[in-house]
Amino acid sequence: MTTSSITSLLIWLPIGAAIALWILPLSRYAIGSLAVLVSLVEVGFWIEQAARFDFARHGLQFSQRTPWIKDLHVSYHVGEYGFSLWLVGLTVVAMAACIGYGFWVGRDRPRVYFGLMLMLTGSTVGVFVSQDMLLFYAFFEAMLIPLYILIGVWGGAGRMGATIKLLIYTMTGSLVMLAAIIVYGLKVGTFDLVDAPPSASRWLFLGFMLAFAIKATLFPFHGWLPDAYREAPPEVTAVLSGVIAKVGTYGMLRIALTKFPDPSGYYRTVVLTLGAAALVYGSLLAFRAVDFRGVVAYSSMAQSGLITIGLFSGTNIGFDGAVLQMVAHGLISCSLFLIAGTVERRSTTGEFARLGGMARGRPALATLLMTVGVISLAVPGSAAFAGEFLILAGAYQRAWWWAAIGATGIVLAAMYMLRLISAVLHQARGPAVPDAALDLRAGELALVVPLVAALLVLSAWPAGISHHSFAGDAPVQAVQGQFR
Amino acid sequence: MTTGAWLCLFAPLLGAVLILLGGTRIPRVVAGWISTTSVFVAFAGALWSFFALRAASGHIGRISSAWTWVQAGNFKVGLSVLVDPLSTMMMLIVAGVGGLIVLYSIGYMDGDDEERRYFAYISFFVFSMLLLVEGGNLLLLLVGWGLVGLSSYLLIGFWHDRPSAVAAAKKAFVMNAIGDATMALAFFVLIAHSHSLEFGASFATAGQLSPTAVNLVALGLLGGAAAKSAQIPLHTWLPDAMEGPTPVSALIHAATMVTAGVYLIARTHPIFEQARTVELVAAGMGTLTLVVAGLIALVQTDIKRVIAYSTMSQIGYMFLGAGVGAYANGMFHLMTHAFFKALLFMTAGVVIHALAGEQDIRKMRGIGALMPWTRWAFLAGALALVGVPPFSGFFSKDSIIAAALHDHWYGVVMAIAALFGAFLTGLYTFRLYFIVFPGEPSAFVREHHHAHHGKEGPLTMLVPVGILAVLAVIGGWIQLSPFWHPLTTWLEPAARTLGVAVPTNTQEAIASVAAVLLGLAGIGVAYGLYGTDRLVVPKLPAVQRALEHKLYFDEAYDALFYRPAAAFATWVRRDFEEPVILATGPDLGEGTLELGEGVRRLQTGLLRTYVLFLGTGVAIVGVVFMAVR
Amino acid sequence: MLGPGVAWYLGVAAFLFGTGALGVIVRRNPIIVLLSLEIMLNGGNLALIAVARHAGNGAGQIFALAVMAVAASEVCVGLGLVVAINRKRLDLDIDKLSELRG
Repeated sequence: MTTSSITSLLIWLPIGAAIALWILPLSRYAIGSLAVLVSLVEVGFWIEQAARFDFARHGLQFSQRTPWIKDLHVSYHVGEYGFSLWLVGLTVVAMAACIGYGFWVGRDRPRVYFGLMLMLTGSTVGVFVSQDMLLFYAFFEAMLIPLYILIGVWGGAGRMGATIKLLIYTMTGSLVMLAAIIVYGLKVGTFDLVDAPPSASRWLFLGFMLAFAIKATLFPFHGWLPDAYREAPPEVTAVLSGVIAKVGTYGMLRIALTKFPDPSGYYRTVVLTLGAAALVYGSLLAFRAVDFRGVVAYSSMAQSGLITIGLFSGTNIGFDGAVLQMVAHGLISCSLFLIAGTVERRSTTGEFARLGGMARGRPALATLLMTVGVISLAVPGSAAFAGEFLILAGAYQRAWWWAAIGATGIVLAAMYMLRLISAVLHQARGPAVPDAALDLRAGELALVVPLVAALLVLSAWPAGISHHSFAGDAPVQAVQGQFR
Repeated sequence: MTTGAWLCLFAPLLGAVLILLGGTRIPRVVAGWISTTSVFVAFAGALWSFFALRAASGHIGRISSAWTWVQAGNFKVGLSVLVDPLSTMMMLIVAGVGGLIVLYSIGYMDGDDEERRYFAYISFFVFSMLLLVEGGNLLLLLVGWGLVGLSSYLLIGFWHDRPSAVAAAKKAFVMNAIGDATMALAFFVLIAHSHSLEFGASFATAGQLSPTAVNLVALGLLGGAAAKSAQIPLHTWLPDAMEGPTPVSALIHAATMVTAGVYLIARTHPIFEQARTVELVAAGMGTLTLVVAGLIALVQTDIKRVIAYSTMSQIGYMFLGAGVGAYANGMFHLMTHAFFKALLFMTAGVVIHALAGEQDIRKMRGIGALMPWTRWAFLAGALALVGVPPFSGFFSKDSIIAAALHDHWYGVVMAIAALFGAFLTGLYTFRLYFIVFPGEPSAFVREHHHAHHGKEGPLTMLVPVGILAVLAVIGGWIQLSPFWHPLTTWLEPAARTLGVAVPTNTQEAIASVAAVLLGLAGIGVAYGLYGTDRLVVPKLPAVQRALEHKLYFDEAYDALFYRPAAAFATWVRRDFEEPVILATGPDLGEGTLELGEGVRRLQTGLLRTYVLFLGTGVAIVGVVFMAVR
Repeated sequence: MLGPGVAWYLGVAAFLFGTGALGVIVRRNPIIVLLSLEIMLNGGNLALIAVARHAGNGAGQIFALAVMAVAASEVCVGLGLVVAINRKRLDLDIDKLSELRG
């Protein structure tokens, strides 16, 4: 157990910066630059942390604990495990790219916008590192508030409907989870995630799982997804699908599976079925979606299903693959949505019927979209392939049919992703694509290329994550041992 | 020796990256030369490992690992290369033929406005193919397997303005994704039993699996092999793949990638031998394909499609060879086929290039008079393909037929089918030759045959064609079973021929004589039908139509798989997602609003109503307390 | 124990409470309603004190004191409202003051 305030710094630096942005009388340009700078400093801190992380050691690292409500054993307790380190890394990197995107396109009302984006960064990091259930809940909610506002104010034409839907769904989930947290915490006498003993209550398990399933957009809890992903500004969609959806799967790993071993065994088949349903259903709908974001949105749903299968397969390679896939897919969908944003800026639409032929004369756009596209369809050798392969190999050890369904998903992924790639890049120029539409500019490249580079590095060395997520790389033991 | 293998593997990747990063800063022609150099460096690396392996005693093979690629729990896979007789042979073929074809591309692609992209792709392809053959474990083999599929997709769809090219590229990728998926499933079985995908451990595991399990593993591998090698029923993508540039067809869809299925069977033969039935299914699949593809090739009018069907048919021979257990014979045919089929595609490319992209053989009549060198080169390739001695195809094809002849009654059946295939080969090959080359040049040919490249084409195109023509003639001389078989001996440590596939001398003689005679008969019939003295071509409209529609495979798949799946997806979207899932949120909201509307009426604003409710409430609570107590 | 038994006190208290409740329900003049409310509260107080005395501890009496304080402040607010209504020249009729209707 190492005590360090760097984790808290990762949470509170962006939140502090957000408050500073709201108070200080800065110019438009200065606000944006400061926000980008802060997000880059976050990435720097994270790299520093990752360099000092000891992947062989069991238990929490970089932790900090201060009593908060003593009578109920609630404390401000933060810290990281291997897998949370990677998810925090995903968050800070993706958020840096998205804040940079907001700066590049020059969002109006920058003071509020960048403040909210920074708040979102801090609270999402908070979700991944909090080791106290009430703190977890607080960050869970704090993460949603900026999202509502970001979609509701800066979104597309149907933004109000999308926001309300998102609000109804996520609030239902989080309130049920709050009830579960309170009951569980009072029953075991502590709200601390590390100390709390496992529980056998099926109701509590279902309460937590509902919230996580909604967040991870498992079938059939994904009703908020299409509207929100389509109406939000592209960089917010990138965060939603790249990072926020991973909160759901992270919660399954950290709380549902760890704290409820018996109920998760009892409901294993149900959850696996939901995951498989999300995979197949999402893939089918992605194949029929009519626009860029629709395809990526439903493919994110499919991927969440796959990650859930990996987690609930309950095997070593399934867990490792799921963590790897969370990070890989986070980077993929973040870059895909940012690219969708750049395409929409050039053509004012994401509809396939009006797009096409963008590859000719735009090599950077074509190369990047093609690269991310083929990584996302899990072409062998890519990070996503490594993740999916491990997940399905793990699922096979549970029962062969999960792997068979997953393999169908791989074929479907090839179909919808290639459809997207050719609809945007190939064949005749679409009516909405102006002749003068430029290739990606330097600023846009500076946002997407680092994400793609991270993906390529991961593709060259997936073991970097899959072997460094659980102490001693024995995930099943780690989960059974409550990560102590 | 592994240094050579690493050099061989990464030189083309480096080339691709250089071209990608160079972008428009480097001239087009430089991109071509970077690519060519990188592939020839790879060839040098392959030679290095070949000679090192020969010098090493026993030449069994050596694995060298760079770093741990994937590790999860106790499952661990390194990024490693394997140098053994089988992989060095493939490295030499891939890098050697690949280098010649990339060199040819410099001339062929000259003037295309996206040359740099082409050369980046093709270098990347060579890298992927080398990864496939050198990969030191099954997972890396699958990685290479997938990456060649990807580069094949990229290159088929290279001219992405053409809808047909894009569709063909997608089709090829999806078909291959099916194969990848079945292979992955096979690997899952192995992982579940041995937690490893190292060759040695997996082969050992295969021996301990239940018969069902090992059959499933072999079937999964066979699925991958059939998809990649365009064997029936996963063959429909190959003819469409001819939408790509001709050098791509020569390299990927003739010489290297499509033959990977044969390599896979040879590489994983210990698994297939545990599942002998599946191995024989592979042989049967090859036999069926070689006959059907030969028949379809008879009626095609696109020069590249004829050669594509011929490729399918020849890979059918290789599957037959590998399936009956004569791995070395299959690999031998793979090698000679790489020479003569690449040659055929490249000469076809020279013709197409000269005729400004025209591919219809009916318009090409008489081109031979204007391009004599091309004509002789094509003829050499054609004779090698038909298997006329002493051209290379004779040595490799006949040994496969002989090996099949030895293997029980089904072997005999397959050998007879293969002999019929030899007849078909002679027929369709020389139909092509007689239609295109001899005779007076047609008006179309005269009009389009532009002479600005000199006589037949730039030197970068003609030199590789010349080299391959020589190889197509002499390439088979390294082995003449039963007298002289260094190749079989070389491959013995990696893929020993099964005992049942070693034919007697009589069988060798029967197979050779019959195959040659039937091949010549095919040539004769072709001369009779399409040569200068024209007989009437027999008309069988029903058969012809069926063959022209490629026996309706595309239509059947469309009706059986694609359209139902697409319709189902549409149905799901229209009748479930939109009305049920997406409407649930708003419905909940509206329900809440309506409920509020109802409750609102209770709020009258009259004090006495409130008091009444209050009183009622107290009364109910009182009664409840009484009752509960 | 001097005086009547606790039942008598409770009887009176119930009578007062009932009278008050009736007044609250049927009367329309807000001043009368307030008056009736006071009667109800005092009925309650009487009951509290009587039972407190019966049980022999002071808790009920203290509670009654609290109720008196609440009643006093409630009358202040109530009469304030009546004055405000009067100033706006509205009818002093609670059936007509139904602005809160949903």
